[in-house]
Amino acid sequence: MTFNGISLVKTKQFASSRTVGNPIQVARVYNSRNVDELVFIDIKATEQNRKINLLLVKKVIDECFMPVTIGGGIQTFEDINDLLHIGADKVLIKTIALEDPDFIVKAVKYFGSQCISIAVDVIFENGEYWIHQKNDEKLLMDNFIKKMNACNVGEFVVNAVHNDGMMSGYDLGLYEKVTQLTSKPIVAIGGAGTPSHFTELISTNYNGALAAASIYHFTQYTPQEVKKTLNKAQIPVRI
Amino acid sequence: MIAIVDYGMGNLASVLKAVKSLKKEAMITSDKKEIQDASLIILPGVGSFEQGMKNLKERGFIELLNEEVLQKKKPFLGICLGMQLMMERGTEPVECKGLGWIKGKVATIENSHLPVPHLGWNKTYQFGEGNKEDTISNNFYFIHSFHVLPEEEVKCTYVDYEFTMVASIQKENIFATQFHPEKSQEAGLSLLKTYIDSHA
Repeated sequence: MTFNGISLVKTKQFASSRTVGNPIQVARVYNSRNVDELVFIDIKATEQNRKINLLLVKKVIDECFMPVTIGGGIQTFEDINDLLHIGADKVLIKTIALEDPDFIVKAVKYFGSQCISIAVDVIFENGEYWIHQKNDEKLLMDNFIKKMNACNVGEFVVNAVHNDGMMSGYDLGLYEKVTQLTSKPIVAIGGAGTPSHFTELISTNYNGALAAASIYHFTQYTPQEVKKTLNKAQIPVRI
Repeated sequence: MIAIVDYGMGNLASVLKAVKSLKKEAMITSDKKEIQDASLIILPGVGSFEQGMKNLKERGFIELLNEEVLQKKKPFLGICLGMQLMMERGTEPVECKGLGWIKGKVATIENSHLPVPHLGWNKTYQFGEGNKEDTISNNFYFIHSFHVLPEEEVKCTYVDYEFTMVASIQKENIFATQFHPEKSQEAGLSLLKTYIDSHA
């Protein structure tokens, strides 16, 4: 779930965002649909230089009896503490990880690696995967993941920006590459449009989690139907 | 009244929410009197073993918990770090003493090729005289880099992660889970309900 500070939105290639509803209502629906995990990101917090709305995030988490990861505008220990305190299981961090890896080292020591997830937003250009950054700085994904690995983070949430909202399938090559770069848990996001896209990625040697947004916002498929498709393909899922 | 012990180690709100959703009376507290008066004590927690013990000590909770749980045999539920702290010793980030209610230690997950931390949903099972297949549970949510290694005979359930880890421990009035029942949807809520109904 991506949030712009006012309502839930869904982007295409991280642009042209479309409003898709109220986060609290959507969280309630996903909880009743028994999803495995919810990731809620305020995608405008950093850009607008503001904190995430804790009151609203708390209401979202209150709807959930499954694990929840929260991201957006996290810059201090207090920010992390605030989110864990209202029931977040993990926090998703990007900007401060790029600017100050030492912060991540300290956060992992203090909060434990299991709750520090790193957002790796990736674009594909000139045959290489790069970190998507607002300031157009060039950083190879490999280098960022290696650096974060050394910080002993708990998880990588790898979003293929070029596939975001396109619903034409996951970037299989990307996840093959990320799998070689880290032994940490990975969450793949970006591109799922049909249940078969999930089966397609998990049938490679990719061993991580599968996440999606557009398919649930814009098609008739529910998370449960995706899981049933996976189950039919002999892939263990929680049904 | 169920007391959810606040010792500064996070994750309390979710536990309270889960217990309340079962229509049980509960509160988050760091008040000794309230913990003494409670019918059941829940010790949740995430984070480092050493910090967890330090926080319990600073608040004078070690003696209190020993008295309530070991001597008065009050029902006790430990979750995640709350389970690990019951062991004799931890190793996170350095070797240090735990509550010592269960003989054994807490160690890093290292004998698996699978990713660490162990994040996600997994089924538990028991070893026993019967068929292992018959003891397989529903999926519960796990999020941990450390696991407990009991060195005494206690009733356990296990989880496979290329090797066998303890998923829950039962000893007299003590029950503890490595997974998070409060985050495990119906399976977790129903486990919490069963435990609370029979103990509080």
